[in-house]
Amino acid sequence: MSETINFTTTESLLINVANLIENNKYYWVAIGGSPMMAMMLARKTLAPRAYYVVEDGTICPDPLEYVPFLSGASGAAEYRAVAWKDMNTVGFHCAMGYYDYGILDCLQVDMYGNINSTFIGGSYEHPERRFGGPGGANEIASMCWQTIFMADQEKRKYPRRVDFISSPGYLDGSPRARERAGLPANTGPYRVVSEIAMFGFDEETHMMKLLAIAPWVTLDDLLVEMEFEPLIADPLEKLPPPTEQQLTVLRAEIDPGGRVLGQGTWIEYTPED
Amino acid sequence: MEVLASGKGVYRTPDPDGHREWVRTHKSRELKSKVMTAKEAVEKFVSDGDYLGYDLNIHKRGPAALMHEIIRQKKKDLWVAVRFSGMDPAILIAGGCVSRIDIGWFIQSGTCSRAIQEGLIKVTEWTNGAVVYRELAGAMGLPFLPLRYIGGTDTFEQSGAKLIKDPFTGQEICLVPALNLDVAVVHVHQCDEFGNARIFGSGLSPMETCSCAKKLIISTEEVVSSDEIRRRPQLTTVPYYMVDAVVNVPFGTYPGAMPGLYGSDPEHMIEMMMADRMGTMDAYLEKWVYAFESHAEMLDKLVGARKLIQLMQAETFREGYRA
Repeated sequence: MSETINFTTTESLLINVANLIENNKYYWVAIGGSPMMAMMLARKTLAPRAYYVVEDGTICPDPLEYVPFLSGASGAAEYRAVAWKDMNTVGFHCAMGYYDYGILDCLQVDMYGNINSTFIGGSYEHPERRFGGPGGANEIASMCWQTIFMADQEKRKYPRRVDFISSPGYLDGSPRARERAGLPANTGPYRVVSEIAMFGFDEETHMMKLLAIAPWVTLDDLLVEMEFEPLIADPLEKLPPPTEQQLTVLRAEIDPGGRVLGQGTWIEYTPED
Repeated sequence: MEVLASGKGVYRTPDPDGHREWVRTHKSRELKSKVMTAKEAVEKFVSDGDYLGYDLNIHKRGPAALMHEIIRQKKKDLWVAVRFSGMDPAILIAGGCVSRIDIGWFIQSGTCSRAIQEGLIKVTEWTNGAVVYRELAGAMGLPFLPLRYIGGTDTFEQSGAKLIKDPFTGQEICLVPALNLDVAVVHVHQCDEFGNARIFGSGLSPMETCSCAKKLIISTEEVVSSDEIRRRPQLTTVPYYMVDAVVNVPFGTYPGAMPGLYGSDPEHMIEMMMADRMGTMDAYLEKWVYAFESHAEMLDKLVGARKLIQLMQAETFREGYRA
């Protein structure tokens, strides 16, 4: 019988994203949030030669630790970069096609991979809850070759249609919808990752498609946490559970205080032999 | 040129020729000292109703001392270009300075969200990149620039962007209008008395924000000699003729971090965030801004040398931040 492992949903989400990160690819990651933590985890484990840029113009840094946005990024986040530039330069390099993947955390992602970070409830003019806007996510989701979204598996985060498209997925899903809106050709959402699932997108319809599911949940457990029913791959794969190495790096090197990791709920899982 | 779609957001109509005339008549090419106090600079160069921009945010290399002075002088009706911001729009809004904002992004803030939800401030949607790109267009003397993002979204619908058919390729592309700020306030590492300024580390849009503005106030950690500037011209981010005022403010980005020099003050950050969350920004501003004549007096009486030395020691990353 295998050993039981314990981890939080936050750890599981970060690990599922880190498992997608490849060596010798270039990533534009949202600054100082969970995408950055996933990137650091990947670089300390499976993908030490994955490279990234953040939107303030820090190109290819090699920071020693995770630096939250709020702690006043300062020198730690810029450490040992190959270049210190600015936001427009990063935008130019992305527009030219240098950035393979974007990684974004999102409040809401819909069936066509559109994301919302502007408001929830009410109308645009009279929002119930107003949020900070697209920030740099619009640039990332528009111009990186492929975009990876992170969203906790909660029904309100997976609506059929977002309240407001802050940053583009496949828009209405129709052919060339992105190109017709002036976005670069052959770009778009690649994966949506939660703590228990990995989604892709159907090439024809651009609808979200469930590719893999965590071994500790059932398909029904997952579907109740979505407002729409995604396409489902056949065969449906199982996500690998967290490894001891990944959990150790997260807990000991990336977030030793548990400020982020401790926010999730705990899962106890015993792999079947 | 065929316009296929237009956002309905409010923007100021670009006026490159008007900006040129302003530069012709208002921007001295003389190498003269522009050193003055923050009080003098804000009195002279920030007017009610101005379109205000700044580089970075109150957590990192933001012009905190100058923002505090704008609040202290109760400037009103500002239109603020907000991108990649932290709590800076929140303190300006709480100070009653703001009537309209452009949103690239603001950090989760009760003050900002409430002001928007209650219609106290007007909003135009953009993205972080679009705001600094509009400043780039302004800094190039152009009326607009094309870009490969913002299109297709509700952000576009609520922005001032347009979708057109590119007359060269026949393909769709978005345009954004140039932004020439009325006034920019930017904090730098080093500057000479004339305004030749150096910034080290990643910037957000130091060149664009400084260049696109009609009026530019630079605050600096230290005033260096002009000889020093001329020894390493490569390091100059902003040339003197764009600068209207040079304000010497050591720890001028406190409570934020100045890369290579000092870290941010975590206790202050928590106090600011809590004031925002609890709706007690008035008391926060009274304590940190209104109670003092200047940033230096506030540092002296409320922060103290011991804390400032700790913040310098906390910035353990120094490589690359000096000439």
